[in-house]
Amino acid sequence: MSVIEVSGLTKRFGPVLAVDQLSFAVEPGEVVGFLGANGAGKTTTLRMLLGLVRPDAGTATINGHAYADLPEPLHQVGAVLEASSFHPGRTARNHLRVQALAGQADPSRVDGVLELTGLTGAADRRVGGFSLGMRQRLGLATALLTDPDLLILDEPANGLDPDGVQWLRDLLRGLAAGGATVLVSSHILAEVAQTVDSVVILDRGRLVAQSSLADLTAGAGNLEDAFFKLTREAFR
Amino acid sequence: MNSFHPPRTVHVLFGAISTDEKGSLTRLIRAELLKLRTTRLSYGLLATAAGLTALFSVLEASRAGSGKAVAPLYTAAGFNAVITGGVWALLLATVLGVTVSSGEFRHATATQTYLATPRRGRVMAAKAVAAACAGAVFGLAGYVIAAGTGLIFVAARGYHVPVGDATMARYGIGHVIAAALLAAVGVALGSLIRSQLAAVIGVFVWAVVVESLLGGLFNAIQPYLPYTAATTLAGSSLGGAAFGPAHDAATTAAPLPFAAATALIAGVAILLSVVAARTTVPRDVT
Repeated sequence: MSVIEVSGLTKRFGPVLAVDQLSFAVEPGEVVGFLGANGAGKTTTLRMLLGLVRPDAGTATINGHAYADLPEPLHQVGAVLEASSFHPGRTARNHLRVQALAGQADPSRVDGVLELTGLTGAADRRVGGFSLGMRQRLGLATALLTDPDLLILDEPANGLDPDGVQWLRDLLRGLAAGGATVLVSSHILAEVAQTVDSVVILDRGRLVAQSSLADLTAGAGNLEDAFFKLTREAFR
Repeated sequence: MNSFHPPRTVHVLFGAISTDEKGSLTRLIRAELLKLRTTRLSYGLLATAAGLTALFSVLEASRAGSGKAVAPLYTAAGFNAVITGGVWALLLATVLGVTVSSGEFRHATATQTYLATPRRGRVMAAKAVAAACAGAVFGLAGYVIAAGTGLIFVAARGYHVPVGDATMARYGIGHVIAAALLAAVGVALGSLIRSQLAAVIGVFVWAVVVESLLGGLFNAIQPYLPYTAATTLAGSSLGGAAFGPAHDAATTAAPLPFAAATALIAGVAILLSVVAARTTVPRDVT
């Protein structure tokens, strides 16, 4: 069974067709890049997959269930959607304590994920004073609290410095080596090309390609060339 | 075989709840209480409630008996005016409730909250219970300060306390219940009106302007106005906590009895929660 199955997913915001009849699947253990320009519908798709936005048509399931029907959802899926969704007045440690309680995680994991994401020294500082990169790390720490088998990451490299990007790449490779499935959205193609096994490419809400990285780049040289070739073809 | 049957309103609001899910609701309430304990805003609102209660109680106690319109402290009416300072705790408990729900949208934390608990009705229920617990603390603080101020002034002037122990206890319990229920009303309001500023302004406009005007114009409905009913539950005279025309208006109406006032405010909290659960709560979180 596919870990993620998206079928005929459609969402309209007023006059804008954000996601249009989108279908794709992600298999266990894959690291999949979810690619598209800004506004291509990546974030809306991920939010529908996670039950935050209601689709107008179609379905999106994780392990065969809609997100809202997953028992203990955080134990199956860890998600990082935006780097700013923290209460600015709460410390990083207290944020993680709240999420551990709500998500039924072992509270003793809080210190572990702080260390894993390099935030131990900042644990008792209020998040309001955090840089974008530190927020990204805290978002990842939150997602990893429950040790899920599936990670859904929306532009996780945003705001990370070169060291942070390197660290994120190693983290994702480590998780993949441990058998985790990862769906990671990005518009920075060169970065994704170093991490993923396969890609799902989106353009103006529609699927333009789902393919292994090797197949995609075989005819086009590199991922960037392949991406532009495909999205330009779709435009015609 | 015995099984747990929650009241019908619980089904309407949150769907059927099994025994397992009661455990998860308890956990969610603990998470919401932890959220309240780990932000400075909660303590700031409590300090504001305590400060305003102290200020207004001391002012009322100081001017008691100073003129015809101001009853002296050895009368129940005079003592009552001092206790009325505690309504600030009720108002600020409502504001606390508003911040508990609308704060999730102000800081975009709703995303993580709903990822952990996709069943949003349950999140709202946990928030209402947690806010009510915190509201009860506000009510208790308001009562202790207002009643304490009254008792200190009474003793300093060498009077006898003009109300009995049972009445004093009723005022105390009334403060706690009224503040707890108003905090739950605040959670529902903050869910309906996601803009925190608009919801907080709405609370003050409703309590201070709308109810004062309506209560002054239509004495017959004054006891049934929810904030007014909460203040009478806390021991204030009918219209005693109002501003303008409704303040101690020459009214023939009597305040609602204790149980009826409690039921009225609980009813408002449930009604607003149902409306929010059916309209704004399921909306997209983008």
